[in-house]
Amino acid sequence: METKFSVTFNEGVAKIELSGRLDATNAPLLQEELKKLIGQDVKRLVFFAKDLEYISSAGLRVIIFAKQKIGVDAQVYLIGAQEEVLNVIKMSGLDNFMVISDSYDE
Amino acid sequence: MAKLVASADLANLSKLINFIVEGAKHAGFDEKKVTQIKLASEEIIVNVMNYAYRGKEGDVEVSYTFHDDGAMEIEITDWGIPFDPFSLPEPDVAAPLQDRKIGGLGIYLVRKVMDEVRYKRIDDKNVVTLIKKP
Repeated sequence: METKFSVTFNEGVAKIELSGRLDATNAPLLQEELKKLIGQDVKRLVFFAKDLEYISSAGLRVIIFAKQKIGVDAQVYLIGAQEEVLNVIKMSGLDNFMVISDSYDE
Repeated sequence: MAKLVASADLANLSKLINFIVEGAKHAGFDEKKVTQIKLASEEIIVNVMNYAYRGKEGDVEVSYTFHDDGAMEIEITDWGIPFDPFSLPEPDVAAPLQDRKIGGLGIYLVRKVMDEVRYKRIDDKNVVTLIKKP
């Protein structure tokens, strides 16, 4: 699986597509992308993770960063996460503060 | 014992982790445990790369060996400032996202996915040992 990500923002919804891995080698790049949203009125942060195979604490920190710096009032979504990724999210307790679902309802 | 040394630079992270992951796969660890070994190794190696040498150059060494019961013992060594990663306070994983502190999460995950973790300062070296049972 190729590692890449994309960030789009439209009408209060930030969509972040993740694939491959989100670790210390690329998490800073995603964080830089997300910084561009600072100052926008973000109501939802939607992480699409169907094709994400691996996440480490560097990736978790990006999610926490997004919530704290971009959308303090935003609802965080995690869509389609695979078991291995979900396990790490759960270990860190982040699952209690996001909507986790197989598909995203617009 | 298999061993690999590289400069403590993020550019070498994948190489060092793959070295450990290949060893785990070769020994027959299942996919889930291989991912856990990968995660713990990344967290410790990244810590070394980010903090051990305070911006100066230095090396990180990874090695592994297997116990009689099949457990994998991984050692991650650096020659940087003395630092016990397991001395960090545990993060509050019940705290809401907006109140989360950024530090400590990686080490917390290491403790969760490994069966045993140890730190030793030996002469001028920091040695972190991670043990995963089959």
